[in-house]
Amino acid sequence: MRARVGGLASTLLAFGLCSCSPDNGSGYIEIKSTPPSAAVTLYLDSVRLDPIKNGTALLRQKVGVSKLQIDADGGNLAVLCSIDVKKNRITSVTISTLSRPARCLCGRLSGTDAAGNRTCIG
Amino acid sequence: MSRSACNVLMRIPLGLWTALLVLMLATAPGLARAQADKSAPELRTADDDFSRQLSELKRTFADLSKKFEDSAQTIEHLNSAEGARKEIEELREHVGKLLGAVADNGAVGGLGSKALRRADEKLKSLEQETRYKQEDKQFLIDRWRELKGATEGAIKELEGARKEFSDLLRKLQTNEDFIDELLQIREHQRAIDVIHTLTGGIRDASEKLKNLLGAIKTPGA
Repeated sequence: MRARVGGLASTLLAFGLCSCSPDNGSGYIEIKSTPPSAAVTLYLDSVRLDPIKNGTALLRQKVGVSKLQIDADGGNLAVLCSIDVKKNRITSVTISTLSRPARCLCGRLSGTDAAGNRTCIG
Repeated sequence: MSRSACNVLMRIPLGLWTALLVLMLATAPGLARAQADKSAPELRTADDDFSRQLSELKRTFADLSKKFEDSAQTIEHLNSAEGARKEIEELREHVGKLLGAVADNGAVGGLGSKALRRADEKLKSLEQETRYKQEDKQFLIDRWRELKGATEGAIKELEGARKEFSDLLRKLQTNEDFIDELLQIREHQRAIDVIHTLTGGIRDASEKLKNLLGAIKTPGA
């Protein structure tokens, strides 16, 4: 009985802790592809995104910095840019495949703009 | 129950019992619903989840349209840039919720694609079906085609809604940033003018929401 009560108390404690974990909310990422018909496989952090329909995708994403990546040689992923997602704000990014390698163009850019170190902000 | 067991139970604080009771009450309806869902999984139509989410979304459209009108009225009479910033921030939160639902990885958007895939699969399998009479088979195919058409229509409207909401969110955040910039150089009057101009855009969004409400048809309804 004592063990059961102990188990119950731990469960309730865990439940309480889970419900108290901070939730910073979410924001949105709009990804446009140029040309619209470009077939690129993109990853947001490690999550593979569905193909972009009609040249535009809109994604809900937790607040924080996420990496937009693309398939690269040897089965690796190459970082196109970082996206700083802010609460209830939209960050726009355009992926251009007109040149090789594909490039990430930010709607609004943070201070740094070196290739591979580009951060888009909303 | 033995005396020692009772003693242990008596020692548990009242708060813990209350938490346990709340937990039980909260999970009981869910368990009952899960049981009911398990018993009749085949009775649900393909677009049930999509239609339900869509109906909920439409209710939110109506609420938000009202909220936009109220906000526009409030902002119109505001003379404090700080108050307006707060109002814009609240509006962004409301628009964000809607955008979250219609986003590609949102609840409604995902269910729409799922319902469409299901309709396609169903049509493919019905066309290969040989057990039913031709007229019965045709009836089923026609109904699934109708359902697919209605789902496609709703998805198209949602795509339109997504564009409207993302444009509105962008407009709100850009205005908010501009107001911040103006406040940094103590251009309070100019900031208030920007805020007042924004009311037109908010009223416009409210109208668009009302139009969407009428345009989006729930499949199978």
